[in-house]
Amino acid sequence: MSAPREHRESSEPMRASRGGGYRRVAGEYAGLVIVLIAMVCLFGMSSRHFIRVQTFATIANQIPALTIIAVGMTFVLVIAGIDLSVGSVMALSASLLGMAMVDWGWPVWPAAAFAVLVGLCCGLANGFVSVWFSMPSFIVTLGMLEIARGCSYLSTNSETKYIGEAIEGIGAPLAGIGLSPAFFIAVGIVIAGQFLLSRTVFGRQVIAIGTNEQAVRLSGINPVPGKIIVFAMAGLLAGLGGVFQASRLSSADPNAGIGLELAAIASVVIGGTSLMGGRGSVISSFLGVWIIAVLQTGLAQVGATEPTKRVITGIVIVVAVIVDAYRQRLGNWRRPLRS
Amino acid sequence: MAGSSTKSRLHFASLILLALGWVAILGCRTRSESPAEKQAEKTAERPRIALIMKSLANEFFSTMAEGAKRHQAEHSGQYELIVNGIKDEVDVTRQVSLVEEMVAQEVNAIVIAPADSKILVPVLKRAQAAGIVVVNIDNKLDSEVLAKNDTRVPFVGPDNRAGARKVGEYLARQLKKGDKVAILEGLRTAFNGQQRRLGFEDAMKGAGMEIVASQSAEWEMAKANAIASAMLSEHPDLKALLCSNDSMALGAVAAVKTAGRAGAVAVVGFDNISAVQTAVKDGSIAATADQHGDKLAVFGIEYALKIIQEKSSPEDKETPVDLITAETFKEASKAPSK
Amino acid sequence: MPFTESQVVLRLRGIRKSYAAPVLRDVDLDIAAGQVHALIGANGAGKSTLSRIISGLASPDAGTMVLSGEAYAPRNKAGAESRGVHIVQQELNLVPTLSVAENLFLNRLPHRCGVLRRRELRDRACGALAMVGLAGTVDPDTPVSQLGVGHQQLVEIAAALSHDCRVLILDEPTAALTDPQIDLLFEHLRRLRAAGVAILYISHRMDELRRIVDHATILRDGDVVCTAPMNHLTAEEIVRQLTGKEIQRESHHCARQRGEIALQVDRLSRDGVLHDVSFEVREGEIFGIAGLVGSGRTELLRAIFGADVADRGGVHLGGAAEGVRFREPRHAVKAGLAMIPEDRRQHGLLMPQPVLSNVTLGNLRRFASWWGRIRARRERDSAQHFCRAMDVHYQGLDQRADQLSGGNQQKVVIARWLLRDSRVYLFDEPTRGIDVSAKATVYHLLNELAGQGKAVVFVSSEMRELLEICDRIGVMSAGRMTAVFRRGEWNQEKILHAALSGYSR
Ligand SMILES: Nc1ncnc2c1ncn2[C@@H]1O[C@H](COP(=O)(O)OP(=O)(O)OP(=O)(O)O)[C@@H](O)[C@H]1O
Ligand SMILES: [Mg+2]
Repeated sequence: MSAPREHRESSEPMRASRGGGYRRVAGEYAGLVIVLIAMVCLFGMSSRHFIRVQTFATIANQIPALTIIAVGMTFVLVIAGIDLSVGSVMALSASLLGMAMVDWGWPVWPAAAFAVLVGLCCGLANGFVSVWFSMPSFIVTLGMLEIARGCSYLSTNSETKYIGEAIEGIGAPLAGIGLSPAFFIAVGIVIAGQFLLSRTVFGRQVIAIGTNEQAVRLSGINPVPGKIIVFAMAGLLAGLGGVFQASRLSSADPNAGIGLELAAIASVVIGGTSLMGGRGSVISSFLGVWIIAVLQTGLAQVGATEPTKRVITGIVIVVAVIVDAYRQRLGNWRRPLRS
Repeated sequence: MAGSSTKSRLHFASLILLALGWVAILGCRTRSESPAEKQAEKTAERPRIALIMKSLANEFFSTMAEGAKRHQAEHSGQYELIVNGIKDEVDVTRQVSLVEEMVAQEVNAIVIAPADSKILVPVLKRAQAAGIVVVNIDNKLDSEVLAKNDTRVPFVGPDNRAGARKVGEYLARQLKKGDKVAILEGLRTAFNGQQRRLGFEDAMKGAGMEIVASQSAEWEMAKANAIASAMLSEHPDLKALLCSNDSMALGAVAAVKTAGRAGAVAVVGFDNISAVQTAVKDGSIAATADQHGDKLAVFGIEYALKIIQEKSSPEDKETPVDLITAETFKEASKAPSK
Repeated sequence: MPFTESQVVLRLRGIRKSYAAPVLRDVDLDIAAGQVHALIGANGAGKSTLSRIISGLASPDAGTMVLSGEAYAPRNKAGAESRGVHIVQQELNLVPTLSVAENLFLNRLPHRCGVLRRRELRDRACGALAMVGLAGTVDPDTPVSQLGVGHQQLVEIAAALSHDCRVLILDEPTAALTDPQIDLLFEHLRRLRAAGVAILYISHRMDELRRIVDHATILRDGDVVCTAPMNHLTAEEIVRQLTGKEIQRESHHCARQRGEIALQVDRLSRDGVLHDVSFEVREGEIFGIAGLVGSGRTELLRAIFGADVADRGGVHLGGAAEGVRFREPRHAVKAGLAMIPEDRRQHGLLMPQPVLSNVTLGNLRRFASWWGRIRARRERDSAQHFCRAMDVHYQGLDQRADQLSGGNQQKVVIARWLLRDSRVYLFDEPTRGIDVSAKATVYHLLNELAGQGKAVVFVSSEMRELLEICDRIGVMSAGRMTAVFRRGEWNQEKILHAALSGYSR
């Protein structure tokens, strides 16, 4: 959100906020970037083939779906909610995309728009149900997780639909650059998401809702639309994730994205977003995605055994959450640090 | 963010560094399993082969991977091996990523047991385009999609359909014509699962059994248990459960026991994993098929090495499938060679 | 030092504490047995910080403490309590979902083999509640979240009083209490004092200090500027010491032109809470609402504002013939109402967020471009302007609200509503926990708002301030408005009588 420290401000009128910007931004992300670099170095030392452009291009082309889903998830966590359905919604919209293109013969763009729309609808459903029946989003999205997964099996008859080249354009690396359009779209969404969260009225309201919904309501703001929009956004991004996914695999896989919600939550939390709401950063989530992806790729290249991989990934996630809790406690207003 | 964040981020960083240090140690340990590596690294560039498996939590695949590692240890001068798996049978995306990562690493060959018979095709095509030898094991890639992509990937492995038919025919001999049977399928998206189902069906139809139910338990024991239980209560006169792998067969055996119908309902499996051997010996599983899982990967690797050396054009290669029943074990104990 | 060695129970030497900036600088303090020792200072002077250090909730950066001749360095609250040091904190610290009884005895629940002994717990809770005069009014089994702030405060005090203590620290205990409750509390404190307990008492209310305090220490910006027996200090002296400058006493009431009826409340009722409350406020008028804790003052404001939905009756705004019942606060806000809630932590502030977002919450549209981008410069300028107007002591707009001192938090909430131009302001205990000079600021502000032709409704438990600045005072009692007095018609007895009359029906 904003500057860690600016003591002089109250005495010296309003200079610091922009001028200190670069250093502030650097400081905010330095920790995660250092971790990333350290990981890259470590893997570089253990595998001769790790540090090369192609490795990173490969990773970059792998992460767009997870990235944009993590963007949506960041918003959801900031309002102190959770969305467990993103993986299934992604599979559903990919499946319907496959159905539209293979069975109904739609061209790629309308089909992609349709898939995104499907995601949006799932997200809206999550939002409406959880807000109107004031049900915990955990339960509502858990329901959606099953519903969407079931629908994706139904729509594909539990079989992978091979779409072929028509869809590959978004996910395939561009000649000469080595990065896919999906990656650029994802980066654009990250930047837009960060801007939305930190610089707009909507973002500020989302943060406020996650911090103290009562206070928001009493200050004359209706928290309902904000909450619904956040879930809708998460759904929409999951839908777009489905398009990216389908494009990368050239197929619609009804099994896609199982457990993806956990990967998304993990990367968001590694990025320092609080599970308790009210605090988060989209860019940090993006760095979290990179950390997870590099960890995964690096472990694969080193050839670590499957159990080892899982243990290490688990450790990294848990450590990040511990740090999150620790940081929360540092500033906790109920219990001073020592008690 | 709070003023404290910089400090705690440092904590964060140091903790992760610790964790990573540990990674490095473990990583080194898995690598140092091949003792000849150090010197070899300096000497010649041995071909590097990436073995990409499905879930290594599944015993069938871990046996396969173990077999491959043992083979590599015995032939460490000839090639270098990187083994990777995915966390469960359905994590296809991760498998695609693994292929991409191995391509980025510029391995010489990829030997893969695809988790999905269609999805992996384009990425494997890209791997081939990058000059990497690709060998398909275990689960055969979809020929239609291969054709659409104008590629050929040599398949080294057993004929699952024929194997399943063998098991089914053995079972049929113990049943009466017109008996009701049910099939527990593997993941419907997997080619070998489809093949085994077809093999079972061939055998059952050929012997005139009635297939009353056929459902997918996605290769998993727990799911198989639940589905088998449901089938048993739905069809009180069910005589046999044909399971497309042994994990599911174990789940089905448990369901049969719980239903109190042990002996009345026969169960067959596929794969001959070590966990079913006692069950086969005591007859609770009537039969299973051994496709020599521990060798499957090795067959693939040897074939890949051969292609690299001979630059030969890739053809499919069939590996044997044997029927395993209680008698097999009796014979084996008589002749202790196996 | 003014005390003889034998009397001193707690001795502090060179206590130092800094957060982002120094908060306490070399504080020396002696607290004697059998005395009520006041800690006086402006908002943010460091009183709460000092009391938190004594009670183990924070650790000093430097300095030593000696308790009854032995070194004393509590590592946490439990450590302090084991040495007989107890605190009632400024902010409420109850577990909202647990019952009153469970909260009272949270760390020493009576049990047999881990099974709660509910009968015993209940009996003991009744005993503790009797000490603060709640025995009949509050059932020990009600969840704390259902109590008003005043009653919650009393529960906290009861929890502290139910221990045997050597040192008792009370950080603004009376901020949410009404006069009869304060009387009862003081009676208790006198008994404890007679029993030799040392009491450290923090309050901004001068009249209270006079009544109970023996000795006073004045803090200014973390320095002890004066320590003396209370009867040696005049009110002017205290104010001068704690602000560091002369403040001339001014009368806060000024005559104003009254205009049209701005807000008319017509037989507003909420089942079980409010019964047919009617009154009206004109433009340019300050309408005070007096009453005991729990008499329905907060509920009245909430019902007017739409925070709770009224069942019957309605409000007429700006003389409209049609009465409305707001269902959501935002409708009220749109209609020109503003409310400063009583419980600033639960209902007012975004505690872990910076001051900036707190001040501009609900007003962001004004700084935003048409599509919602916040113009940062404008937002900060404006926030800073209104924080200055409220004289908020902070380390910068990016300081988190939960790091502000209690009084300054209150000011931030008020600043938020100043930023938004409303026609009717509902202030629920706006002066709670703020220091004399800040109070003067608030009075000044109320007057200024009224002077601009706004209608102001002002709920307070402090009779004196109501008498001082209001044009009219309505008295709530048991959910009814039992009397409305004009300036000049009232006196304390009449108001108190009206405040009690509702309960005798
Ligand atoms: N956790 C914290 N982090 C940073 N600054 C803090 C923290 N707690 C208190 N402060 C600062 O310390 C100063 C003193 O606070 P303290 O709560 O002791 O004041 P106080 O004298 O009790 O004021 P009040 O009368 O308003 O309650 C304030 O300026 C406040 O901003
Ligand atoms: Mg205080």
